[in-house]
Amino acid sequence: MAWRAIRAHKLRSTLTTLGVVIGVAAVLTFVILGASLQAGVIGDVSPDDRENVYGWASPPDTNGGPGAGAQPVFTPRDLAQIENEPAVRAAYGFQPVPTQTLSSGNETVPRGSGVYAAGPAYVDREDVAEGRQFRMGEREAVINPAAAALFEQNLTVGDRIEIQVPVVGSVNATVVGITEDAESRSPFEGFNPEPRVYLPTDPYVTDVTQADRTRFSLVVVEATDRGSVDDARDQALAYLNSSESDASGFGDEDLVYNFQTSLELLDQFQELFSVLQNFVVGVAAISLLVGSIGIANIMLVSVTERTREIGIMKAVGAQRRDILQLFIVEAMVLGVVGAILGLGLGLVAGFGVAELVGFEELVIPWEWGAIAVVVGIGVGVLAGLYPAYNASKTDPIDALRYE
Amino acid sequence: MTGGPPGGEDAVASSTTDADADGVVVDDAAVELVDARKTYQLGEPVHALDGVTVDVPRGSYTAVMGPSGSGKSTLMNLVGCLDTPTSGSVFVDGADVGAMNDRERTRLRGEKVGFVFQTFNLMPRLTAVENVALPLVFRGVSKDDRHERAADILERVGLGDRLGHAPNELSGGQRQRVAIARALVNDPALLLADEPTGNLDSETGANILDLFDELKAEGNTLVMVTHERDVAERADRIIHLLDGKIERIEAVGDLAGRQHDDATTERDDVPDDGHADVGGDAA
Ligand SMILES: Nc1ncnc2c1ncn2[C@@H]1O[C@H](COP(=O)(O)OP(=O)(O)OP(=O)(O)O)[C@@H](O)[C@H]1O
Ligand SMILES: [Mg+2]
Repeated sequence: MAWRAIRAHKLRSTLTTLGVVIGVAAVLTFVILGASLQAGVIGDVSPDDRENVYGWASPPDTNGGPGAGAQPVFTPRDLAQIENEPAVRAAYGFQPVPTQTLSSGNETVPRGSGVYAAGPAYVDREDVAEGRQFRMGEREAVINPAAAALFEQNLTVGDRIEIQVPVVGSVNATVVGITEDAESRSPFEGFNPEPRVYLPTDPYVTDVTQADRTRFSLVVVEATDRGSVDDARDQALAYLNSSESDASGFGDEDLVYNFQTSLELLDQFQELFSVLQNFVVGVAAISLLVGSIGIANIMLVSVTERTREIGIMKAVGAQRRDILQLFIVEAMVLGVVGAILGLGLGLVAGFGVAELVGFEELVIPWEWGAIAVVVGIGVGVLAGLYPAYNASKTDPIDALRYE
Repeated sequence: MTGGPPGGEDAVASSTTDADADGVVVDDAAVELVDARKTYQLGEPVHALDGVTVDVPRGSYTAVMGPSGSGKSTLMNLVGCLDTPTSGSVFVDGADVGAMNDRERTRLRGEKVGFVFQTFNLMPRLTAVENVALPLVFRGVSKDDRHERAADILERVGLGDRLGHAPNELSGGQRQRVAIARALVNDPALLLADEPTGNLDSETGANILDLFDELKAEGNTLVMVTHERDVAERADRIIHLLDGKIERIEAVGDLAGRQHDDATTERDDVPDDGHADVGGDAA
């Protein structure tokens, strides 16, 4: 019977549903955009590097992203010592290499960033799709597919590349491995996929600065496993804070060690985004609210208009709860239909706008979709509840007389 | 019954009251009105019903006659528990309707009362068969059973070929018969019909009245409003209303045959308070 009432008032039912549709769609569109924006900026750095701790030393109260204010204080000896700690599998310096061009054969492409020197463990063995990891002390490079694609003829394992480094001049390397994808490997690289070349710190850093004078600003400490991350960090910090370490005795500037996992580093970004997300959801919630006021209004009219029918039903034995049930079912059907349509519309709109803006990755936060649907249906039912409650109270004889 | 009104014993003629072995009076009225008044306050008060005391004995068949505006529909609404009196009391099966809450009154209507409204009051968006099945919906009868019962009764009132029609696709007389079928679907102990044959030709009307006779024979209680003398005469007795008061009560049929003089002559000896013996003058 509820269904019949809905069909009998197509326009009204459509308008009611529209309120929910727009509300739910707005919420979903906004959260898709928010989450996709977040994913686009931050990417999914995490899963592979959860056993890594990223460290640097900076003056106290330095704000900014990973590595902000980092001072070159870590010597290769420090790193070797840290690597000897029981919970630590590897410790190495991380050094972005300033570049101008990349060349292969007689082809040269401009490249101002994306070349990094690190330890072999920096590129996990499993992540090398072709070839192998680079070795310390060798003039070898692992590149990512985006870097390989910079050249007309894709670079392959065995190709030689030439990197033009300002001040130093050109350095050569043999490509020994190509990674699986172009994703960022750590927070030190930033969060976007882009062409990257990875080199061993020895010889590329130590050759230039001479081994005994080398000081790294950024270090990576890899724990033996995920469960030992905290131990690895504690052991590394204990060593660094002890008088034994080179870092502690270097200069008299008061530096603070920041040793954090990528998840911890991400959290800081996440916080910023959650503020944005809350704002966006707030806007969407207001549209849902406006929709619900519309539903309440329409339900009120609908119930008033059907006073006589309510009188008839009560006259033939309908209890208050029967009347209530009828209207709630009606409101619920409208709410559910609206929520489902809203979900569809929200997905389409979210995808469309994301496409338009050019987000690389689309993230659908289903939990928000679910919340929007539940709220949409809840709003429909609540909006129907009050007039239905009033209707159920009417005296049958008064209701029958209602024209 | 202990819920009877004070003076109820007095109000009920011996033909409708049995004394059991202990000498306790058992009130056998299906419905009992005691000095019931319905007043509408419209600037000056309008007394739609002005102190009516009447019994409707179980299993009786009563006709109500009177000029337009004399309070017939108002009386039916009170008897059918649709409305409550401004003052005075209505007892159904000995229970005071005025003391009931909305839920109890609704249940009473749903289970015991079948109402044929003067204005039909059909649900405009439901088909004939759905309209007839409506009371069963609220009693939790399954959809198939509802449909079967409703179709049966529509067949009985001669609308077997109009099951799927909406009220606005039916003639006035057909609507009236749908309303009658709806009142009958619950097999009500008390059937109240406000001008049930008003829109019917004599043959269809006669069918309906035959149906009412059957119901009466099955032991149901019937009250019917009519403007037609010959229709009213199918009942046991006729209550004549005038200006919200009982003018007189007339016995017809078998009772009238036995009490011919009394029953067919106007009774001017009705007490001023409107209190009347309604079981005829059989005693
Ligand atoms: N809701 C109301 N408000 C005010 N007056 C009312 C109301 N309902 C009925 N009345 C008055 O009560 C009186 C009796 O009305 P009722 O409907 O009982 O008449 P009736 O005998 O059924 O008439 P008819 O034969 O025309 O159906 C009328 O004078 C009517 O105007
Ligand atoms: Mg009337």
